[in-house]
Amino acid sequence: MSSKTVKGPIRSAAWRISLWATLAFACGTLLAFALLHRFVASDIQRRSDAWLSGEVEVLGDVAERTPKDALYGRVVGEVAELAAREVPNKTADETGASDSVFFLQEGADGSLSLWVGSGSGAATLQAVQFANISPDHPTDVQVQGFSIPFRVATARIKDGSRIYLGLSERDQLRVLRSLRNRFILIWLLLVLLGFALVFFTTRGMLSHVRRITEAASRIGHSDLTERVPTTERHDEVSQLAHTLNGMLERIENSVHQLHTITGSLAHDLQSPLTAIRGKLEMSLSETADGEHSEPIVSAIEELDRLTDFLNMSLDVAEAKADALRLSRTAIDLNELIRVMTDLYEPSMSEKGVSVEFQSDGPVRVNADAALIHRMVANLLGNELNHLPSRCTVSIFLRVQGETAIMRLEDDGPGFDSDVLVHLFERRVKGRASSGHGLGMAFVDAVVRAHGGSVTAGNRSLGGAWISVTLPLEPAYEPAKVRSN
Amino acid sequence: MRLLLVEDENDIQSFLKRSLEEAGFEVEAAADGKTAQHLAVEPEFDSLIVDLGLPDMDGIDLIHKLRQSGVRAPVLILSARRSVDDRVRGLEHGGDDYLTKPFAMAELLARLRNLMKRNVSPGAEATKLRVLDLELDLLRREASRGGQILQLTQQEFVLLEYLCRNAGRVVTRSMILDKVWGMRFQPDTNVVDVHIYRLRSKVDGDGQTPLIRTMRGVGYVLKDR
Repeated sequence: MSSKTVKGPIRSAAWRISLWATLAFACGTLLAFALLHRFVASDIQRRSDAWLSGEVEVLGDVAERTPKDALYGRVVGEVAELAAREVPNKTADETGASDSVFFLQEGADGSLSLWVGSGSGAATLQAVQFANISPDHPTDVQVQGFSIPFRVATARIKDGSRIYLGLSERDQLRVLRSLRNRFILIWLLLVLLGFALVFFTTRGMLSHVRRITEAASRIGHSDLTERVPTTERHDEVSQLAHTLNGMLERIENSVHQLHTITGSLAHDLQSPLTAIRGKLEMSLSETADGEHSEPIVSAIEELDRLTDFLNMSLDVAEAKADALRLSRTAIDLNELIRVMTDLYEPSMSEKGVSVEFQSDGPVRVNADAALIHRMVANLLGNELNHLPSRCTVSIFLRVQGETAIMRLEDDGPGFDSDVLVHLFERRVKGRASSGHGLGMAFVDAVVRAHGGSVTAGNRSLGGAWISVTLPLEPAYEPAKVRSN
Repeated sequence: MRLLLVEDENDIQSFLKRSLEEAGFEVEAAADGKTAQHLAVEPEFDSLIVDLGLPDMDGIDLIHKLRQSGVRAPVLILSARRSVDDRVRGLEHGGDDYLTKPFAMAELLARLRNLMKRNVSPGAEATKLRVLDLELDLLRREASRGGQILQLTQQEFVLLEYLCRNAGRVVTRSMILDKVWGMRFQPDTNVVDVHIYRLRSKVDGDGQTPLIRTMRGVGYVLKDR
């Protein structure tokens, strides 16, 4: 049982659920961010384009109006410098704007007539000429010597020259990068938090399910009074617990009803049987002459057989309905079978049947001693009654995994094939049998009530075998498993 | 010997009373727990026979109540239940005994006498048991008859010891099964008889006076006189 419910967290359902939920959450948020990122990037682009277009227009105006004298370069250059100070998306600590913005005037002949910016204007001029920028749309231009491209807007002046205003995309990219970094941090935190949240919530919920499972498995054949744990919440798990408890209630009621029926049946029959037996005995003691005693003695014997049959029928009926009451104690099967073999040995050898018992040592089971005694007595009694002389009964007891296996073998005539098929059913007996045909049904019922099983068959070399398995005492398992 | 019989079934009560009186007991009968409590107060009884299914209270509760009020006599419990529950087994450990219905009168008498004898003289500390010329050395696990050591198996010694401890009193097959093999049920084959035959052939061999007597339909007795 314990091996089924107690798993590592990796194999638990809570782990799987939170893993999948987190994966879905992570993908979803990632997608949302990608969209957001795209929107922000295009918005920044749009804003810087608007600024570029505006500024290039102003600069074009200034360039047009300013007379082309010695001061021209200084005036336009200063205006461009001023414009560069208003660069959008600029970070506060940025002091000089000289390398993020350039201003370039291209003469009508395609030569560099004015340059404001860092580095040489020639490379930039070459790049903007090559890019062939349309006046309406600012365009990305990769300038040699700069790793980050410039966004360049252009305007044509009436004198045939062109001015270019370039804005480095460095700041824009930095804004986006810092946005990405922050997002990844927040995303990671969210995903971890989400995972932890889902994991602990589902684990809490599923641990309740596990407690229900454990309780349900504890509620065995004989103890129906226990209930699975319920909670105050009104969720599906709590509904499951309530449903299970309702089911247990009904089962307990019907088992109780069966007990009441069998109990009152036993009582109603046993009281008159006791009275009849007592009266027969009294009349037996009164007829001391022995003349009429024989029929009375046989009546008493019949009565005892009837009682035995009645008790066993009720036991089998209860066991078939999983309602046999067990008072379990720790039993050493090895000791029990040895004692039973000792008990039956003289009777067997009287009949010329030998019996041997082989075992590796103590085998502990948690069982109802009286029922196991009767079960083994039934098996041995069967051998005693049905084996011809010069036969041998061998009993083997061993442990296999978590079960004790008791195997009886004989070298007698074996089971009739028509009996073998229905061996463990009620009222089945061999042609020569004088019993009431409940013995094997009783054996089966007792073993089943203890959570074991019985199988039987004929050996290929002749003779019959019966194998009984019983679960080992739980506390006894680990030591045994380890020694294997 | 005074007995208190607590049994609600009229039929059973009357035949039990008669049989017990024939066996030499003085019997007071009660049909319910209240009457039984009332009767048990005064002169001390030597033993009680209590049916578990009483109309007004559970037999076990009655026994506990009687014990609390100072009744020390051993109790023989009669139970109609097929499987005897743990509470009855608990009482058995306290020195009381139980029988499931229906039962043989001889069984009841044998157990009753056994109970009362146990109550009078426990004698469990003795290291030697002697019955006529039969002697059991409990420490050395040896039995001898007339000075001659008997070759007994372990199981046969335990069986003989049980017979010796109850010498002069009838022990039934189910009592032997219970005390020697620890089994509270009767197998349909008389496996105990064969053990007794074997033991008898060793104890009563070679023309000696037979000590182990068969009481037909009842059980066995080891003669002590």
